[in-house]
Amino acid sequence: MQGKREMAERIERLEAEVAELRRHQVRLAELADLVQELLIPMAQRDEERVEAAIARLQDGL
Amino acid sequence: MTASPRGARIARVTGVDQDGVRLLAVGADAVVDALFDDRRIWSFWVRRDTERADRTGLVRHVAWPAVMRPHLRGTTRIVLREHVSGRVLHDGELTFGDPEPGERVRFVNKRGLDIALDKSGRFSPVFGERTAADLEPLLDTMEQVIDVLARAGVEAFPAYGTLLGAVREGRFLGHDSDADLGYVSRHTTPVDVVRESFRLQRAVVDAGFGTYRYSGAAFRVAAIEGDGSVRGLDVFGGFLDGGRLYLMGEIGTEFEESWIRPLGTCELAGRRFPAPAVPERLLEATYGPSWRVPDPAFKFETSERTRDSLNQWFRGLAVHRQEWERRYGAGQAGQKGQPGTTTGRSLAKEIAAREQPGTRVLDVGAGRGRDAIWLARRGFPVTAYDYVPRALTRAARIAVEEELPFEARSLNLDEWRSLMSEGARLARASDAAPVPTVIHARHLLDATDTFGRSGLGRFAAMTLRGGGRLYAEWWTGRGEPEPGLTALSAEQVVGRLERFGGRITSIEEFEAGARGNARPFSVGRVIASWA
Repeated sequence: MQGKREMAERIERLEAEVAELRRHQVRLAELADLVQELLIPMAQRDEERVEAAIARLQDGL
Repeated sequence: MTASPRGARIARVTGVDQDGVRLLAVGADAVVDALFDDRRIWSFWVRRDTERADRTGLVRHVAWPAVMRPHLRGTTRIVLREHVSGRVLHDGELTFGDPEPGERVRFVNKRGLDIALDKSGRFSPVFGERTAADLEPLLDTMEQVIDVLARAGVEAFPAYGTLLGAVREGRFLGHDSDADLGYVSRHTTPVDVVRESFRLQRAVVDAGFGTYRYSGAAFRVAAIEGDGSVRGLDVFGGFLDGGRLYLMGEIGTEFEESWIRPLGTCELAGRRFPAPAVPERLLEATYGPSWRVPDPAFKFETSERTRDSLNQWFRGLAVHRQEWERRYGAGQAGQKGQPGTTTGRSLAKEIAAREQPGTRVLDVGAGRGRDAIWLARRGFPVTAYDYVPRALTRAARIAVEEELPFEARSLNLDEWRSLMSEGARLARASDAAPVPTVIHARHLLDATDTFGRSGLGRFAAMTLRGGGRLYAEWWTGRGEPEPGLTALSAEQVVGRLERFGGRITSIEEFEAGARGNARPFSVGRVIASWA
């Protein structure tokens, strides 16, 4: 019985860990998208393009 | 076809009245259409959607759906007809409510268009009621969007009900109300599929369409029909990995790439569209082996595995937003939410008492803009944020009429891209001309989820640095709260704000009905500042 309960607990924990890992996918995508869209104009210090990049990003949400 | 597939037979309908339908159901399940004055309004399964009304379980009852109730006034001819066989089970006149003489039951929307219940239980102008000319603009939009997506690198095709209609009948399903496109990405991991979906949405926006994101892998395009009504064209992303196909929002199954690519064609309302290489395979994966048998009351039975995977990979970008859209759409949030009204010792009054006029107020979770307009009238420039920005339409109109310093913007605490791009935008604006800033957040912490609460902390840390203050109020757990609120202790709120760099300058709790709190529930109030 002890073994069964431990197994059930372990499965539950593993499921929670899988869910945790899966949830990072969409957040990583969000961050990658932000960096990709905003980093270049910012690095170029092109004020108009920074402004335009922020506006375009927000329009596309 | 003469009968439903498993030989379902209904002995008879025994009663149709103001409450609903009573029938004797024998044998396997079958789907029945309810026609009001010859128009199909609703469909239901005689076993799945009914409740047992006697001990044998053979006599069953189903109530008219709640969404139908507001329309049920007047006299009407009700016909109940088996969808597949066409067998009529009932035909008779019935009067609902206390109508004017000669009044008929009508199902029309605000624009005067005939509406019926679609498969998700919503009233909309379903395809069966639209003329070919009405649908031409939707077909045009589908072609244009497919073209935009192709140029952006994905091959889209009609999916879900739209593919089913095309393959089975060569037209839109009569009881369907929106059109769906799908594509199978060349990427094999969710993170890349989501990034691609973001990029595709921008391409569609650049092409001049209005859009709305549902999740990391699906968004809607607004298609304008011939008579000006707006119909949703949903774009669902999918991917193949390790022999499985996942397609947002219902499919996860063993699948071969050759069943998708290279794309073939299908015909829809006389036009040629792309289709999966073997569309029957996708339809079977979507609707099960009986997909050829019409079912206007179809409900997805997505497996737990698929649902969990899709939820965890792609969803969580707008928690509870649909509920709020419904509440604001239906006007259920009540009169007390009207812009400019405030009662008791409100949080807005606290800001007015403590802050210099001219201080910029960011009202996060502004709802209908009740506090935002009140503050703007007292000389505080206000930016009212909500993830249902439509709710602020009336407040924005008042602000224009009264020439108030007010702006309504969209902000979603569950979406980092929204939060961080808005933080960046504000940082740029105040870099040009620094303005003292405060955040007003009334019943926001207790209405969002854990991720959203952290989102507010992040937003405060980005926008209040240099001495700005956050004013927040929430339900602390006693009394009868407004619907949709989660109780939070003062410790929980303080802990979270401190984790994001806030310093607590004041914290209070008011019991229900105590001085300064006219509400029937207890509230906490905090002021925190950022260095």
